[in-house]
Amino acid sequence: MSQSPTQTTVAKTVTRRPFNLARFLESYALVAALILLGAVFGAIRPEAFLSWANISTMLGSQSVLVVVTMALIIPLTAGDFDLSVASMLTLSSMIIAVLNAQMGISLPVAMLVALLAGALTGLINAWFILYFRIPSLIVTLGTGTFINGVVLWISGSMTISGLDDALTDWVVVRRIFGIPLAFYYAVALCAAIWYFFEYTTPGRRLLFVGRGREVARLSGIRVDRVRLFSLVTSGVLSAGAGIMYAGTIGAADPLSGLTFMLPGFAAAFLGATSISPGRFNAWGSLVAVYFLVIGITGLTILGIQTFVQNLFYGGGLVLAVALSQLVRNREAQDFT
Amino acid sequence: MKHKAPLAISCALGIGFAASGVHAAAPDLDAAKALVAEHSVLPNFTPPGAPFDAHACMAGKKILTMPVSSANPFTKNIAIAMTGVAKQIGFEVKEWENQARPTQWVQGMEYAINNKFDAVDLLGGVNPAVLGPQIAEAKKAGIKVFTSHLYDTIQTPDPSVTLSMRVPYHEVGALLASWVTMKTGGHVNAVIVGSDEIIPTAPFVKGITDTLTKICGPDCKFTYINAPVPEWSTKIQSGVQSALITDPTINYVIPIYDSMSQFVVPALTITGRKGKVKIATFNGTPFVIDMIQKGDVEMDIGESLGWIARSILDGYMRDMCGLKTYTTLYVPFYIFDSSNAKNAGTPADYDRGYGDNHVSGYNTLWELK
Repeated sequence: MSQSPTQTTVAKTVTRRPFNLARFLESYALVAALILLGAVFGAIRPEAFLSWANISTMLGSQSVLVVVTMALIIPLTAGDFDLSVASMLTLSSMIIAVLNAQMGISLPVAMLVALLAGALTGLINAWFILYFRIPSLIVTLGTGTFINGVVLWISGSMTISGLDDALTDWVVVRRIFGIPLAFYYAVALCAAIWYFFEYTTPGRRLLFVGRGREVARLSGIRVDRVRLFSLVTSGVLSAGAGIMYAGTIGAADPLSGLTFMLPGFAAAFLGATSISPGRFNAWGSLVAVYFLVIGITGLTILGIQTFVQNLFYGGGLVLAVALSQLVRNREAQDFT
Repeated sequence: MKHKAPLAISCALGIGFAASGVHAAAPDLDAAKALVAEHSVLPNFTPPGAPFDAHACMAGKKILTMPVSSANPFTKNIAIAMTGVAKQIGFEVKEWENQARPTQWVQGMEYAINNKFDAVDLLGGVNPAVLGPQIAEAKKAGIKVFTSHLYDTIQTPDPSVTLSMRVPYHEVGALLASWVTMKTGGHVNAVIVGSDEIIPTAPFVKGITDTLTKICGPDCKFTYINAPVPEWSTKIQSGVQSALITDPTINYVIPIYDSMSQFVVPALTITGRKGKVKIATFNGTPFVIDMIQKGDVEMDIGESLGWIARSILDGYMRDMCGLKTYTTLYVPFYIFDSSNAKNAGTPADYDRGYGDNHVSGYNTLWELK
């Protein structure tokens, strides 16, 4: 459909915003902090920290966390918590291990089953949340715990190794510019989610639903359908993170994947202070993950004690969100 | 427990460090080879005490065994083996199912008191320090409280328990150090990975570092990474990666508990050091023996779970029957590497590959018909 010159001018006038320095600084403060942090560690230990080996290792080894964070920000944008993502990640990696390593089923089939299990988990979460009107926090806490039991059951509480080498090859062994493929998968996912939120109608609907369900409903948006979509997508992405995790460690164990939940939430909330402040967003989350990774890696290279890393994770998150709130004059947050 | 050596203090604090101290002028490769050879042959059963009629003296008695977690396959399988062996002898061992929650352990102690068990076994990591009031109450009710596979033989057990069946973890450490010394010809540059909150970690790591200091030459060095158990998946991989990038001459990673290996292997893969840096470890967990078969791990020191279960019961039964008992578990350490990993099965099984001398040996010791 063609637009008249008048319409175009109006559209441009409406969409163009005056430059706001405070907002610009807020948007890129985390990026600046990331660069500053890298520069500090680079100045202290240039031979170790600034080596390409270290940079490619940092980028490649935390891709699973990026995917977990992406799985979290979709329901968070719609106003729902999904506390079952780490459990779903663990179940997905265990399904692949049981099917592929123990039962000899081909890798593509095992991966498909894992992704379907993710979709099913999302559907179950959505059914309880939407039909019974139970808060997502409670439902996903319950389903997450249930899934943990399933994982222990199907694995016999054992770590299962012996996965098809092709999975490891396609996740961490094959490289482009020395960086494992896992990193490119994560960046591609970020780009896809960014495009979805910014340029597609369902993506904008998701944002509206998250900002105010009642307003969205009155505007004609099928709120329940949008929330269902977000929870199923979260389940599928969590399962995808599980596939990447199995490919990273070449095995599946019944517990370790659960540790991704808190760093995932930390990155999601930290990411919401960056690039598009006040909104969960893909690029902000990516920056947040690597801000945390640079901090942790730098501290590790310096030989700093383990507990300092936790101080960095927790302190960094609270401080960044607090500073962001100050810049925005402490306006009320939608997160509950 | 207090540590005097600077090394142990570093371990307790979780600080990476380089080896210092006085090294032997040249590596004592003969000593390293001798120790490795000793643990590379299938273990023979040597009776750890005088024979006794186990069936007669244990008749009607019952023991509640509480593994650190029923979801932990190592302790779970020992508990299962203990239950089966006790049934064969003619008394009851019941497992208290739990998921590593101290509140569940408290419940287990109360269950033992209410159901008049004769003894409670705190197996493989249940720390008696968190059960002080319950242990006192159990003892008041005439119940013996034992620990097994928890302390090193050079550690002092919690004074509240009746008997502790300890494991010489520091000897395992010496064996790991001997292996890497032998394999590198005295040019070890190792990263040791441990979890300081696990009770025997300090003596275990000390066993490695003391032995390296003693028998490895001046070219040997090591660093230590502390990764608390709940953070294995996040701290081990990143810690090992950083260590490998900081020092490209590292040639061994020694995760002291073999389940850590699954997070070491990806660190080697991502940093491109797989095949150049070897992994030597301890526990004999089946999936790690599978990793030896696949070439990802070089060696794993294993313990037969069936042997552990029998040794625990032997010690407890001697105590409960008023006989002279002992406080060190009689469990040989056996090295799995590429030459014998297949003997454990494909995929590996928990109790395969160690031979079965112990089964007939203990049956004779207990005068079972």
